[in-house]
Amino acid sequence: MGQLEIEKIDETTFVLQMGPHHPATHGVLKLFCELEGERVKKIVPEVGYLHRGVEKLAEYKTYPAAMTLTDRLDYISSMSNNIAYCLAIERLMGIEPPVRAKFIRTMVAELTRLSSHLLWLATHALDIGAMTVFLYAFREREQILQFFEKICGARLTVSYPRIGGVRLDIKKNVLEEIYEFMKVMLKRVDEYETLLTENRIWIARTKGIGVISPEEAVSLGITGPALRGSGVCYDIRKHAPYDAYSEVDFEVPLGQQGDTYDRYLCRIREMRQSAFIVKQCIEKMPEGEILAEESPDMDLTPQPKRIIKGGESLWSGFVEFTDEKYELIPKGEIYSAVEAPKGELGFYIVSDGGGKPYRMRVRAPSFIHISAIPKLCEGHLLADIIAIIGTLDIVMGEADR
Amino acid sequence: MNNFIKRLFFIDLIKGLIITFKTIFSTPVTIRYPKQKRPIEHGFRGRHAFVRDPESGKERCVACTKCAQVCPSQCIYIDFAINSETGARVLTKYEIDALRCIFCGYCEEVCPVNALVLTEFFEYASYDRETNYFNREKLLNNWDNFIKHHEEVEYLNKFWYLPGINRKRIPSAKRIPKPVLKVMDKVEDS
Repeated sequence: MGQLEIEKIDETTFVLQMGPHHPATHGVLKLFCELEGERVKKIVPEVGYLHRGVEKLAEYKTYPAAMTLTDRLDYISSMSNNIAYCLAIERLMGIEPPVRAKFIRTMVAELTRLSSHLLWLATHALDIGAMTVFLYAFREREQILQFFEKICGARLTVSYPRIGGVRLDIKKNVLEEIYEFMKVMLKRVDEYETLLTENRIWIARTKGIGVISPEEAVSLGITGPALRGSGVCYDIRKHAPYDAYSEVDFEVPLGQQGDTYDRYLCRIREMRQSAFIVKQCIEKMPEGEILAEESPDMDLTPQPKRIIKGGESLWSGFVEFTDEKYELIPKGEIYSAVEAPKGELGFYIVSDGGGKPYRMRVRAPSFIHISAIPKLCEGHLLADIIAIIGTLDIVMGEADR
Repeated sequence: MNNFIKRLFFIDLIKGLIITFKTIFSTPVTIRYPKQKRPIEHGFRGRHAFVRDPESGKERCVACTKCAQVCPSQCIYIDFAINSETGARVLTKYEIDALRCIFCGYCEEVCPVNALVLTEFFEYASYDRETNYFNREKLLNNWDNFIKHHEEVEYLNKFWYLPGINRKRIPSAKRIPKPVLKVMDKVEDS
């Protein structure tokens, strides 16, 4: 791709291959930048450096085992991915997790959103040149990861939810700790805002950079805070509530200009809302079970058993079988989406009745956001590409899968 | 006008600098890692181990192969023979390739006799692959090393009794939380 472009261009343009090992491309994203001086004429992103074949791998694993693959999609918000996957299969099977499990899931999903946004803020600010925020944000993120460790024993690749609920109950003292931390968290968000929101360097680097109109954003398929920064109110938590989102009260922050600064404000406000939701979840969390009765066992067999015809009345030694099989998971297909920290994360699952997904397709927000880079970068300076990549919040593990 | 004065006197920058200045006097949140260690939370999913049964002094595994069945990365290799007299399964081979393991904890969750555990020990990086390829003896050794440094008298992993899940769903050995007592004599013998 890059080679062909180079042959065509004239003397005044210069092709810069940025990445895949550039620290500001957040992973292994490669960009072919056609520059005229320092202005970007055209940009071509190249993906695929982190391809692991997650979708194909899932076809060879049982449903519970395939959940661990989803941890590794968007590895900084693995809880949301797990929930998205479990929710898709729950909808396929038609089971409903108990109320306590729903609240726990909502709580951990919002904690993940906080940690993901903190990491985004940290790296985005660091790319633009604000070192202090990076250190401060990681301080709080560490706390959230520690809570995950307390809840399920792992910090990043959690594998905590389970089809039909969650794997373990949370102790009361951990919930109290989280509740106390959320009060601190709100103060910390104020701190970040004092450091950045009014800062003249921050404003100069972000205002008017990467402007995208609501129509364009919708047509490019951008979702999540990147879309809400343009002023389009689209939040799956609000419009198609899953888990316990219908029972908690929260706002969807919207931007106006659709530039990098507005997307930044959107995410900052979203962090406050997340802390608010976590608090509400802990307050409203009922006692009870955490796993639905109909949920499949962990050691789900990959093959369904044959139906035995006749049964007990037959003389032992001759048992008649039919070709029909028990369905472990109902036949059918489903698309179900959740609001992951990056945007709409959807799982499309086709089931043939067996214990393995026949096909699993992931609608990853990061991949779709990468396709918006050429549009956003048009006519900007080379240094602004860094800000634009940062503002879209791309994780390559999810984009390449 | 207000904004102009703010910009003129660097109010926006000074506000930020006040926060950074205040942070100088706060206690540090970082630790000096190799010398100083953060306490690991209960139930952390670390290095694998076979629980040494305090009564028999051997592993508890009954070779049901459930762990190998659920393992998403297929890093558990089991082989067993059948005792012709009793008809019971006898474990002949049990190997875990820890370099393939993804530490999801499914194996300890499905284990019906609480034989396998992911201990809270996490510093086991090595220069060769063999060190982290655990066979039966190594797995038992891992347990001895772990329990030796365990501070409390008894050890109970939360994946051994799965709090919050309906008791009827899980195997009988998992229904009541049964901690393993720390037996110092046996550890020193081995």
